[in-house]
Amino acid sequence: MGWVCNGDDRDSTIGELAELAVPFAALYAALWTQGHVPAAVLELCRLRLAQLHRCAVELQRHEIDIPTEKSEYLAHWDTQSIFSPAECACLAFTEVYAMDTQALTDQHAQAVKTHFGDAGLVLLVEALGILDGMTRLSLLWQLPAKVDQSPASGQRL
Amino acid sequence: MTGRPRATNTNKPTGNMIRDSALGLVPETLGDYMALNRKVWECGPLTPAEVEIARLRNARRVNCVFCKSVRYDIAKADGLSEDKVAMIQDDFRESALSEREKLIVAFTDQFLNDPSGLTEQLKASLMAEFTSQALVHLSLVVAHFSGFSRCAVSLGGMPDELPIMEVSVPQ
Repeated sequence: MGWVCNGDDRDSTIGELAELAVPFAALYAALWTQGHVPAAVLELCRLRLAQLHRCAVELQRHEIDIPTEKSEYLAHWDTQSIFSPAECACLAFTEVYAMDTQALTDQHAQAVKTHFGDAGLVLLVEALGILDGMTRLSLLWQLPAKVDQSPASGQRL
Repeated sequence: MTGRPRATNTNKPTGNMIRDSALGLVPETLGDYMALNRKVWECGPLTPAEVEIARLRNARRVNCVFCKSVRYDIAKADGLSEDKVAMIQDDFRESALSEREKLIVAFTDQFLNDPSGLTEQLKASLMAEFTSQALVHLSLVVAHFSGFSRCAVSLGGMPDELPIMEVSVPQ
């Protein structure tokens, strides 16, 4: 279990405060069903954030099925032809977002908009805010990784 | 930072600052986002002034000009003065903030700077001062406002400076 409460994962920790757990769960669920950026692209971005933060718990989490080959080569997405131009645009955006949000350029944004439009860009930054925040909290709460579970789809730190 | 917005909401203005922002381009998440935002302010054990201290510390660290310029009326009504706001700086540990308020700032900094590097000393201090529910509330406050600030920075259109603006929690 983490140190914040008796919960041993994200849901049970946030569940300590039901008044916020319910609206958070609704927002988080909406990310994966909206129609602007495919959920599989968001899952690649989420896992890339987990890699960059070196967060084992978030790498074990599984939200959406993605091809095993893509998860195996995710850390090297920029040299692998298996990633589509749209996925590459979102992953490039994600990496700069994670390291220094202020370093994002108009070119990073335009690359995303080329594939997903203005609304897709907004959805992506909204999602990254939530996914980055949850990854940081998993680390800060010191949530334990499950010893009997591999990282999602072969992901490695 | 760019002065040009990277996404623009051209819908008819409603007077609601979140609905009229670029977030309004994604109606599938807008309602849930606004509902969570309200709950962060109105529910949970932290007072509005404590929520505002965490929000403003995050705004300054992420350098979101919009977020730095805003003051929530609910926090002001709760007693948060501009004198106290001025103490939420890098030298906050030497300020006249209370120990509880200093811990709120320290937790926010830990989230932003090094979430995997929490020291046993800070952990013990947080556990001694806050209940489990208050720690979850503080965590979600910081994560929520960090995401909001980074969203604003990512979408550009940020001026170099803005005057202080008092606002209400969008309903």
